[in-house]
Amino acid sequence: MKTNRMPRVISDRFLQLLTVLSAALAVVVLTSLFVYIFSHGLSLINADLLRSDYWSLSKIVALDETRNQPGSYPRPENLGAEVAWSEKWGVGFVDHLSHEKKQLVLIEAVAENSPLASAVDTSSGANQGKPVAMSAGLQVEKIDFTDASGTADFTGMLASARAAEVAETLDQSAAKLTSMFIKTPGGGIRGSLVSTAYLILVSLLIALPIGIASAVYLSEMAKKNKVNAAIRTGIETLTGVPSIVYGLMGVSVLFPITAAMGAKTTNILLGALTMAIILLPTIIRSTEEALRVVPQGLRDASLSLGASQTQTIFKITLPCAMPGILSGILLSIGRVVGESAALIYTMGTFINDQPGLLKQGTSLAVHIWSVMSGEQPNFELACAISIIILIFVLILNLTVKLLSRRLQKSFR
Amino acid sequence: METCFEVKDLNLYYGEKQALKQLNLTIGKNRVTALIGPSGCGKSTFLRCLNRMNDLIENCRISGEIRLLGENIYDSKTNVVQLRTEVGMVFQKPNPFPMSIYDNIAYGPRCQGIRDKKVLDGVVEHSLKSAALWEEVKDRLHDSALALSGGQQQRLCIARAIAMEPEVILMDEPTSALDPIATAKIEELIEQLKTTYTIVIVTHSMQQASRVSDDTAFFLLGEIVEADTTRKLFSKPADQRTEDYITGRFG
Repeated sequence: MKTNRMPRVISDRFLQLLTVLSAALAVVVLTSLFVYIFSHGLSLINADLLRSDYWSLSKIVALDETRNQPGSYPRPENLGAEVAWSEKWGVGFVDHLSHEKKQLVLIEAVAENSPLASAVDTSSGANQGKPVAMSAGLQVEKIDFTDASGTADFTGMLASARAAEVAETLDQSAAKLTSMFIKTPGGGIRGSLVSTAYLILVSLLIALPIGIASAVYLSEMAKKNKVNAAIRTGIETLTGVPSIVYGLMGVSVLFPITAAMGAKTTNILLGALTMAIILLPTIIRSTEEALRVVPQGLRDASLSLGASQTQTIFKITLPCAMPGILSGILLSIGRVVGESAALIYTMGTFINDQPGLLKQGTSLAVHIWSVMSGEQPNFELACAISIIILIFVLILNLTVKLLSRRLQKSFR
Repeated sequence: METCFEVKDLNLYYGEKQALKQLNLTIGKNRVTALIGPSGCGKSTFLRCLNRMNDLIENCRISGEIRLLGENIYDSKTNVVQLRTEVGMVFQKPNPFPMSIYDNIAYGPRCQGIRDKKVLDGVVEHSLKSAALWEEVKDRLHDSALALSGGQQQRLCIARAIAMEPEVILMDEPTSALDPIATAKIEELIEQLKTTYTIVIVTHSMQQASRVSDDTAFFLLGEIVEADTTRKLFSKPADQRTEDYITGRFG
């Protein structure tokens, strides 16, 4: 039979090309996303980011009158070359680039008997009159001083001075430091890390026992009838409901529970309760899946040895399903870390450096939302947090892979 | 001959389908009874009636009665969990629990509430010795049971059943997943065990039935065609269908 083969070759090639192009497009998009996030955020990733508070505290301090005069303080030998040292006032400054890419001047070291060591807080508030430790890392916004003739002047970041200039100005002109405006470092994510940990812990603590127990009932004990089939379909539908709907429910239905416990605003506990409800369907389904993989032969063997059905479930079926259940738990943790919409409603968007269960706080994802929703979106910090989330989720997924491989191995 | 099981007019239905029809059979105490027949003839289903494992299957209905040492096990007053401690079972595929050898054997007694370590130690040793496995595993009792070979795993499952000190051990094609050497060991074991236990074994192999059993029942399409001593059934079968089957004309 004679056929014209050309058209088929062309259409085959066309379809092949289509698949290759689609795959390439997907790879390019994903790679560029990663490249963007890493190129913007990587420079901010360091221990300081994880350790420090988000909000910086401003303080105005004054020095002890009797000691407020220049002296001679030799430069400590262990200081690096980048530190600008003021010999007369016994203090060293460094230049620093903040998480927000702002040029800062930081105090690096203060001599033990320096006049600055006698600083007292003069800003109004609870700490007024208390001594302030002039520790390394404080931002020097402004230093007011008077020179030998009594003329007032100032230096510091508000005078656009760099570390070297500040030290030089102090050494050459200052006869008396009238006041100092300093700030504690900010821009860190410690508070959000703690909030996220609270959120994961509390939501799992609530969702796991309920979820696993329901799954055991549905797949091991319940008779296969229409009611149970309906319940199962309902649970499957719940996994597809957008989380923002759960968020609304959390605010309207669950808030009174936390209010009864003393919460005045949206709070982390409310977020965790809402998250627990979001996780329930997922945990039930993954546990059912894990129970289904356990060979019937093991249940039969247990029953044939005179074990009751309950003993069989708790001594054989559940332990055998543990790797599967665990990977379900890990996926749930990933879900908590990635959730934002429901949490904006229930936990608020205030980045709290001192989070507590009944206080507001932000998870890492909501922290990103907060720094991006202001008038000056902070892309760098957002990308840095994204990197942390990405790495965390990556580790979770690798662990899941490892566990499921072990699960397959243990049943041959 | 003392009677162990007495089956009277047993019928079993899966939904609408009748799987066992009007079965009557007497199983002797301390004897090995083989159930033979082609695939799907109901011999495994019948075996699972003897310790009520069919209770787990939905839509399964049973009529008639099975008496174990005089007591009807399908009586509404029967404690099924208690029944299964008296009628142990060994399955086609070795199915040790994914735990240590020791814990596998101690599982049954522990489920009955025995916690005393000395008692459990004794049970484990006795059961493994009875199943001719002690010498091979005594130095690694706390290793995973899954590390054992197929034949060892099956003997472990037998030991696990023995640990409950049952009256009867049911075996559902216990050697079909094993190689000839492991099979020979299990058959040897069955020979020893019948002095203490009543054994009912389902087998696909006519040779195995003739080697290990004292009595044989031939199943066909859910009915017992013929039941007699193994010697008689294999040498002078009363029914033509039995003769056709054991001479290999079908099945």
